[in-house]
Amino acid sequence: MTRVLSPVGGRVVGLAGVPDPVFAQAMVGPGTAVDPAREPGQAIAPVTGKIVKMHPHAYVVVDDEGHGVLVHLGIDTVQLKGEGFELLAAEGDRVTAGQPLVAWDPAAVEAGGRSPICAVVALDASAEALSDVVESGTVQRGAELYVWS
Amino acid sequence: MAKAEDIIAALGGADNIIEIEPCATRLRTEVKDAGAVNEAGLKAAGAFGVMRQGTVVQVVVGPEADTIATDIEDILD
Repeated sequence: MTRVLSPVGGRVVGLAGVPDPVFAQAMVGPGTAVDPAREPGQAIAPVTGKIVKMHPHAYVVVDDEGHGVLVHLGIDTVQLKGEGFELLAAEGDRVTAGQPLVAWDPAAVEAGGRSPICAVVALDASAEALSDVVESGTVQRGAELYVWS
Repeated sequence: MAKAEDIIAALGGADNIIEIEPCATRLRTEVKDAGAVNEAGLKAAGAFGVMRQGTVVQVVVGPEADTIATDIEDILD
């Protein structure tokens, strides 16, 4: 069982609230999404495990059960080519849930005309594998978003 | 590499591909002839979904997108 933590603090909007069909239609997996507070911050590891993908704007951490969680910081942020994102860890690193991985500023992403909404996706999971999924309300960074069994 | 080859074929072959760029979850490609793109073939090659807007085709392959894009570029070069 994997407890998946919110990488950022803000307002939970659910995957359906992500302005991108790949996430909104859960093409890469179920999960939820958070509209982050508009202040500079550090996105954290949602689970304890190994960083298997580390982009400036997105990362995947796989835990010891083989559950891979994708955190995608903002929409179409690949176009920023890393500008405004500072990596605090590297691909291959073993990290602890709650450990800061990327420093960024959601307000700057929004000022550039992009949504800063963060998708938190349970890769390759079935929707039934997730429980207690938070899909609304406000969330603190590090609070539980869902349980993956 | 087999997956990369299947994706190239379903995109209408190497000559049809103008540009290919990986994102965290997808390959963003631009093709010459959108009509030559075989959506069913892309899904058979392992794509979770395909989004098309004119000659821009996004192939959703998950976080392995960067690895697959590198394989495709190696084949195209």
